[in-house]
Amino acid sequence: MAPNEGQSRVPRASIPFNPVFGWSVGNWMEQFFDGMKEGKILASRCPACGRVYLPPRMICERCFAKAEEWVELPETGTVETFTEAHVKLAPNGTFEDIDGPEIIAMVKHDGADTCIAARLEGGGVSVGMRVKAVLDPSAENVLDLLAGYRAAE
Amino acid sequence: MDKEVAIIGYAQTPYEADAEASREMQVLEVTKAALAAAGLKREQLDTVITANNDYLDGRTISNMRLVEPSGAWQKNESKVEMDGAYAALYALMRILSGDHGIAMVVGESQASVYGGYIPGTMMLDPTFDRQRGLLNEVSASALQARAYMNACGVSEEQLAGVAAKNLANAAKNPLALRADGKADVKKVLSSRLLYSPIRELMASPLCDGACAVVLASGKVAAKSGNPVWIKGVGFSHDSYLSERSLAEMSSLKDAARRCYAMAGIEDPASQLDLAEVHECFAHEELMAYEALGLCAAGEGGAFFDSGTTSMDGSLPVNASGGALAANVACAAGLARIIEAAMQIRGEAGDHQVKGVRTAVAHGQTGICAQENIIYVLGGE
Repeated sequence: MAPNEGQSRVPRASIPFNPVFGWSVGNWMEQFFDGMKEGKILASRCPACGRVYLPPRMICERCFAKAEEWVELPETGTVETFTEAHVKLAPNGTFEDIDGPEIIAMVKHDGADTCIAARLEGGGVSVGMRVKAVLDPSAENVLDLLAGYRAAE
Repeated sequence: MDKEVAIIGYAQTPYEADAEASREMQVLEVTKAALAAAGLKREQLDTVITANNDYLDGRTISNMRLVEPSGAWQKNESKVEMDGAYAALYALMRILSGDHGIAMVVGESQASVYGGYIPGTMMLDPTFDRQRGLLNEVSASALQARAYMNACGVSEEQLAGVAAKNLANAAKNPLALRADGKADVKKVLSSRLLYSPIRELMASPLCDGACAVVLASGKVAAKSGNPVWIKGVGFSHDSYLSERSLAEMSSLKDAARRCYAMAGIEDPASQLDLAEVHECFAHEELMAYEALGLCAAGEGGAFFDSGTTSMDGSLPVNASGGALAANVACAAGLARIIEAAMQIRGEAGDHQVKGVRTAVAHGQTGICAQENIIYVLGGE
């Protein structure tokens, strides 16, 4: 292809795309967040199959039904899998190095059938490790109510 | 399926980090070449399906302005916002409906335009995971890799071995972006650590490119030179990444079961001659060995070590270098179909495997391979 058919003579424009969407987290996630403000871990349960979703989901895909029961789960759980993050995603879409690895774990709470991805505090991790939720009921942003996990005593 | 629909032409651009050509010119290049290979003119196309993505392209209706280069003007045209392997599925269905005889299928995107790994985060649950900022395509896949390695006793050396194999294969594929004839386990394990266990060379490079396939009904294909028949197709959709076991590709297994039933494949390891797998990360190739039934569940690592899937093995996987050599969003799965068809036709040049009669090609969409599709292809 001849160069003049391409982009080399055209200045590349950087076009920002920053729309603001007003998603509702939905009734289920609202109850999840409200529960954590009181130090409770609330999960939804499918009445048909008993599958327990945490974070709570509104619909059980397996039963094609509303997961409309609520259960309170303990703060403890198990690390199902993890990664040591040596980088973070930068606004330009590339990965930039961070100081010291940070552990991201997939935790399955006792009594839950699904996982939460969160930071694991305190260093040291293995699959099967027992952990406990670190809640911050005073967090300004509801997304920070669950600060992460640390090793269970 | 028996001689109902065939691939009768195909073309790929070289895969590049930042292509000189615009996406429109890349698409025009491959559609014209695919039509020429099929011995057809634009006027003979009955339907056109493109695969592209509004978010990756920064505009709604991302097929806008692809009407001209895909040959779709005043034709039955549509698009999918998934891998091009799904565009091929819709084209296949249109031909099977009996209403269309010839279809153009296109997959394309340009990573140099869309800003690296940012768009991938849009696949995360917007009410929780996306806003907490921990997960992206690579960190989520690292969680998948660790889950699989832990469940099946797979080592980092084995992941590195897969990457080394594919990068060395890619050295013989002139279209590949990332290729290294001298790649080995040590080199892969000394590449930059991103999210353990995933290092830079175990992660597919995002890039620019386009590919196109012409599909035709059996009646049309029988008159063409060297048709590659679609013998079976299967596809399946899995749960969101935190709501399923990441230690196995259960939807790929499900897709394979359906596809093999259609294609009459009872013993994939002996009936298939080659596989082209859409492995966005090295560990996904090992997981795919298991899900595709090339080896027993949990044996992906040992199966790799046996050498069966290397270029001189009895069932080479990713002779092209796979997605670890070039991963164009919306095109990499369709490229696997093209590479499998090339091998069946004996047109793969330096990376040709001898005696390929039946091959499987895989495409995926979504974080941690949430949706999977496979095809079994065969020659005369």
